[in-house]
Amino acid sequence: MTSRPNYLKPTNLDSPGVKKFWEGLREGKFLAPRCVDCGELFFPPRTHCPECLGEDLAWEELSGEGTLYSWTELFFVQPEFDAPLLLGLVDLADGAGRILTRISGGTETGLHIGMPVTIRISTHKDGMALYYAEPLRAK
Amino acid sequence: MVSGQKRAAVIGCGAVKVGRYPERQESELALMAIRDALKDARISKKQIEGLFTTPDLQGNIGLQTNLLCEYLRISPRSMAEICCGAIAGGLTLKYAADEIRAGRIRIAVCYGAAREASINWFKSVTQDHGWSMIEPTALQPYAAYGIIWAYALSARRYMHETGATEEDFALAAVRNRRNAAESPVAAFTKPITVADVISSRSLASPIKLLDSAASLDGAAAIVVASEEVARDLSPHPVYLLGWGLHHDNSCVIPTDDYRKSISHFTATREAAKNAFGAVGVKPGDVDVAEIYAPFSSHELIIPEDIGWFEDGEMVKAIRGGETEIGGKIPINTDGGLTSRGHPWPATPLYETINIVRQLRGEAGPNQVKNAKIGLMHCEGGMMNNGLVMIFGRD
Repeated sequence: MTSRPNYLKPTNLDSPGVKKFWEGLREGKFLAPRCVDCGELFFPPRTHCPECLGEDLAWEELSGEGTLYSWTELFFVQPEFDAPLLLGLVDLADGAGRILTRISGGTETGLHIGMPVTIRISTHKDGMALYYAEPLRAK
Repeated sequence: MVSGQKRAAVIGCGAVKVGRYPERQESELALMAIRDALKDARISKKQIEGLFTTPDLQGNIGLQTNLLCEYLRISPRSMAEICCGAIAGGLTLKYAADEIRAGRIRIAVCYGAAREASINWFKSVTQDHGWSMIEPTALQPYAAYGIIWAYALSARRYMHETGATEEDFALAAVRNRRNAAESPVAAFTKPITVADVISSRSLASPIKLLDSAASLDGAAAIVVASEEVARDLSPHPVYLLGWGLHHDNSCVIPTDDYRKSISHFTATREAAKNAFGAVGVKPGDVDVAEIYAPFSSHELIIPEDIGWFEDGEMVKAIRGGETEIGGKIPINTDGGLTSRGHPWPATPLYETINIVRQLRGEAGPNQVKNAKIGLMHCEGGMMNNGLVMIFGRD
């Protein structure tokens, strides 16, 4: 058996469908593809438009604004992250879709469904640029 | 969908008790279940014309039925190993029924065998294969380590929309455990209380240990026959009256469309609608049901999707005991996934076997009085593909 993969160093970073997305994160941009043929904006990125199946894609920077759709405090966590991991689903305001992401703050306290969040980018401890959601918690 | 002449019937059942079998191979567990199913059907192995099974978790190369043919010394003329997430076990029965209805075979054995616990399967797929379990090309660094997070997000959303509490989910786990006490195959039979569930350790909030189905070893097999053969051989054939299938175009959680719900599931709803339409019955006609809920939260969600309750009504129903034996719709009278244990490739066949026992009147203290129509639901991904099968007796 091969050694366990590093979740933050997957073998598909250079795959054509997602390479541009990861490059964007390293430049501080949160990108999603838009289909040149049919205009569909979609997330997560893939090599093709899931609507018309075309491959002519342009990349757009998303606002990063969204609302919290649901969350969980997860105790089974890949070694690259600390347990428990606060995970949420965020509906992206741009209409691109829904993203599964870490939520910052480390605690469920103050989270509520429907609250506004912003997608931010940080560099993980082993050097990879990653997205996360920052909730606008009430003071 | 199923004409009167070409219905298929389940005429035999066999299953090993769900648990841990470190000393056995999957094929050996399969043999044990098949041997019991043949005996229950009162047929000889020589009568097996079709052999259909589920994915092999030991990572072999699709030769499971070949191996079983050697173990059994049989030479069927139709065989297949069927994969499609966790509905595969149900699809083996569909495949057998299709072959029978097409007139290609008269008697088939469908089986599923898995040693999830003994080979530490879940750890292997989640930790050794990483995020590729979900989708190799997706950028989901957080979507790893199994799939409990998806059910947890769904459970939280359901609570938000309906007012359900963690205690309501716990009530379903307690109901399953109470039913499991009388099950011949359940792994967990020691009674539990709502307080036990609530105080068990959190795995992925709001899901706790006792809300969850344990990944265990097991094997289950059924003998399926044409209606003509069933009437000839069996004192109590249980007919597959029809089924419904649906996939909602999401892989695990719907990420591509923010309008899609994760508190209720299109695949379950459409599969149920298709099944009821095919058979010509309504949800209220069902006497007993088996639903595939890996976590207690989904014991509330699925019955609403199938149509026994309006959205959010399961909260009141679980508090009022409406899914208990003797209630409006008895659900998981064998302990369900949370108490029977959950060797997933075999689970839909364990569910089917419990429906057959109920319709034959062989469920002992858990018997639903005069059960005539039974329903079996299973799902794959996280409720993204759904299969609903409806059974009846003479």
